[in-house]
Amino acid sequence: MAHLLREKGFNTFVIVGGLTAWRKAGGHLESVPKDDLVKLPTFS
Amino acid sequence: MNYLLHIMARQGYALTFGLLFAEALGLPFPAAIALVAAGAAVASHTLSGPAVLLASMVALLIGDSAQFWLGRYSGWALLGFLCRLSMNPETCILRSAESFYKRGKATLIIAKFIPGINTMAAPLAGSMKMRFGQFLRLDFVGALLYSSTYLLVGYLSRDFLAATLSGFHAAGRAMEMIVITALVVYAIYRGVQFRRYKKYRVMPRVQVQELAARLASNDATRVLIVDVRSHGYYDSGSERIAGSIRIEPNNLEEEIKNLPKDKDIYLYCT
Repeated sequence: MAHLLREKGFNTFVIVGGLTAWRKAGGHLESVPKDDLVKLPTFS
Repeated sequence: MNYLLHIMARQGYALTFGLLFAEALGLPFPAAIALVAAGAAVASHTLSGPAVLLASMVALLIGDSAQFWLGRYSGWALLGFLCRLSMNPETCILRSAESFYKRGKATLIIAKFIPGINTMAAPLAGSMKMRFGQFLRLDFVGALLYSSTYLLVGYLSRDFLAATLSGFHAAGRAMEMIVITALVVYAIYRGVQFRRYKKYRVMPRVQVQELAARLASNDATRVLIVDVRSHGYYDSGSERIAGSIRIEPNNLEEEIKNLPKDKDIYLYCT
């Protein structure tokens, strides 16, 4: 994805270790907003 | 065949139980072959049919129930883990859930015969809030169908199995050649993949400390952090880097239209 964005002209970087590394380093986190949650089908 | 029957006579019930339990937990064990062998052992009066069926059913129901509750309590995390083994992890969860939902609850009855769905069915049912009683009824029917089908195959084809197994020595050399060829083809495939994706490794990378320092500087307004995970968005209570936005990896062409070109974009996943 980063490569594709670069090809489209965006100055893109990849964060080494992703969310796990960010959390370990004590970086600020926030809850995923309810509106952003993907609704998957359920039987209930 | 006699050797196989000897093993089945000594360890038949435990072997059947162990292999089917392992398969129900998602481990790649040849449970169907164990059932066929057990069926042949029943035909030769080495094992008792009802007892081996019982061992198989108990193993499957315990393993599937464990998967069901893991799916229920881990939400989509367990499926995310299982999906990492798939060709396209980003769409695996959504596709599996939709497919399971469309085909209906009866999928559980035939799931054991379908590789892939077999592993996913019980945790999917748990994640999708199916009632446990209903799951157990459907899983019971599925386990009974699966066990009795393969036991019957073994029971009816005992003589054929004996003839096949006696030819194993000759088949051994052919198998060696097949394995060597498969390894060579796999090595070539990996080599081609390595060359094809070599360009992706030159992507600039930043350490989290470097990013944190930039966010604390006056230059922070030129930073856009983008979450490209899929799995993180199925469970309420999931977290993300503060201030980041999400891009749906499967809808990249549309998502790109909303991205600013005057900012540096930092991508992250799990």
